[in-house]
Amino acid sequence: MRSVWDRTGCLMFFPRQDKPSGALEVLSTAGTIGLHLVSATFVGLAMGYFLDKWLGTEPWLLLIFLILGIVAGFRDVFLEVRRIQRRTDGDSGAMK
Amino acid sequence: MAAGLPHPLTYSVIIDEALGLHLPPHVYYMWLAMIILFTCAFLLRGRLQMVPTGMQNVFETVIGGLEDFTVANIGEEGRKVFPFLCSLFLFILVMNYIGLIPGCDAATANVNTNAAMAICVFLYYNYIGIKKWGFKYIKHFMGPVAALSPLMLILETVSHLARPLSLTLRLFGNIRGEEIVLVLLFVLAPVLGTLPMYFLFILGKTIQAFIFFMLTMIYLKGSLEHAH
Repeated sequence: MRSVWDRTGCLMFFPRQDKPSGALEVLSTAGTIGLHLVSATFVGLAMGYFLDKWLGTEPWLLLIFLILGIVAGFRDVFLEVRRIQRRTDGDSGAMK
Repeated sequence: MAAGLPHPLTYSVIIDEALGLHLPPHVYYMWLAMIILFTCAFLLRGRLQMVPTGMQNVFETVIGGLEDFTVANIGEEGRKVFPFLCSLFLFILVMNYIGLIPGCDAATANVNTNAAMAICVFLYYNYIGIKKWGFKYIKHFMGPVAALSPLMLILETVSHLARPLSLTLRLFGNIRGEEIVLVLLFVLAPVLGTLPMYFLFILGKTIQAFIFFMLTMIYLKGSLEHAH
């Protein structure tokens, strides 16, 4: 017995039975990329700033960690893009 | 849809005055989400059937779909961590949707709620990794090349610490932004301007909850799988 719930609530999330829709998946993966870059940069900056304060090596650790943060951010974006690419290549439904 | 702005019509203000607790609004809306989920769960637990009907159908489709998705990505080990993932998804989804009710506010539009959840995720996936791999968990931070491992250790630490930050800010920024747009449109053109946006924001809020779920799943997968 299928009720109204079945047709409205479920179909919005899972148009294909029992699987989140591909569009939802790709949209959400794409939505994550931008902030990886920003947040890694800021974490690097904050780490450098506080290490500098702690060790008293004024500008140096800040600069080094800022660059490391930017590199880490780019690496995250790269890994994310590779994940999308592998998913579209393989298309076994699973993100590798 | 008050977006955290001072608003005479939010229910939390009325409840707060009645209770005299002086808690910020997002706490009340989080409690509301918890009450909704607990009520649904207790109602459903009482009358589970082999052939699902009504509400049970909805929950079976959503939870079953998410479980298949998790198992397809992580593997059979995913079933162990699935309760955490699924409760996160449902909790965030309900909190997001509460923001669409006039006079209510999304608890996720406040940075504190999101930070608490993101820190939980951070501690949980590291705990799972350390529990599974013991001291060898540090290999996950070393990268594949031995000579580069000190550099990779710092890089991975930075990117791991960036994860809770980006989880927090993404959810906060999206939900808060949507709430503010709703309030502004309501001021510009009451009902007529707001109504079309509801469809867009229902999609947006679902996607944000799903993103939080999916990223948590990817992090858990990273800590469960073998290091490189």
